[in-house]
Amino acid sequence: MPMASEYFDFHQRMLGQGVIFSFVGYVSEGILFSLGEALKQKMRLEATDANVTKRVFSIFVEQVQNIIRYSAERIEAESGLPSEMSSGMITVGHDETHFFVVCGNIVRRAEGEELQRRLAQLAVMDPDSIKAYYREKLREPSEENSRGASIGLIEIARRSTRPIEFGLTDLGDERAFFCLKAFI
Amino acid sequence: MDTLYLPQTQRSPLVELDAANHRLRIEGESYPEDAAAFFGPVMRALDEYLDAVRERPPARELIVDLRMLYFNSSSAKALMNLFQRLESTARDGVEIQVNWHYDADDETMMEFGEDFSEDFAAARFSLCVSDSHVT
Repeated sequence: MPMASEYFDFHQRMLGQGVIFSFVGYVSEGILFSLGEALKQKMRLEATDANVTKRVFSIFVEQVQNIIRYSAERIEAESGLPSEMSSGMITVGHDETHFFVVCGNIVRRAEGEELQRRLAQLAVMDPDSIKAYYREKLREPSEENSRGASIGLIEIARRSTRPIEFGLTDLGDERAFFCLKAFI
Repeated sequence: MDTLYLPQTQRSPLVELDAANHRLRIEGESYPEDAAAFFGPVMRALDEYLDAVRERPPARELIVDLRMLYFNSSSAKALMNLFQRLESTARDGVEIQVNWHYDADDETMMEFGEDFSEDFAAARFSLCVSDSHVT
């Protein structure tokens, strides 16, 4: 297939799945900011309800910050400066009924299993329990080494309007691909 | 004590602690790269101020105005820390009034305000709804 057709096909397939944007590669705080601005702009142009926009944006921020913090492919800055770059993928779109935010990244398997455990725990809670759990976590002193992820996951669950989908694919060598899809 | 003033940026709120007039103001969006690094100096300045007023309670109350549009979970944690400091100072006898301003259409900020209100007993916490859109 000629190159232009090949990429047009790729482009059309993405649009067909309702993708607003999709990013694969190294994720930094700068990319989080720029993609977040593009997302808000797009939703503003489409006159999306402001409360829905806020929910989508909030879930997007927590998911991307999770990638930055947890990716096993993080490049540690030699200088010790805060220039974290974590490899991952971020897709935001809209299906027939909901906005969705999907994030995936390679993690240490043990960390991925811990994330799954926390998400499974959230999955059986109703909205009031999630809200109460968020309140409880907010009042706890910060956990060592957690870098705030658990409250971030609760925030994602709280802003979602359908159960979160998540999964882990083992890559061997103590690594796994972790993926989370939230719906608004 | 000097005034602490941090101007609003694209990812961090305006913070103003005016010790002479007993006012603290935080406004805008908050999802800084490193919430601990951003809020660290704010907490230090606030602690210094609160220690001073605990020592010598001022004639007028401390008025805290929060006007947040969005904050991420790390910033929520920082706000909670700040509220816990205010509440404990109020318990020591300092008069503190906290005003949580939010737009009438903003469900998230209204809900957060209701949530936070439960953490105050000694300090007064008021939900202040406004009809005007702050963008």
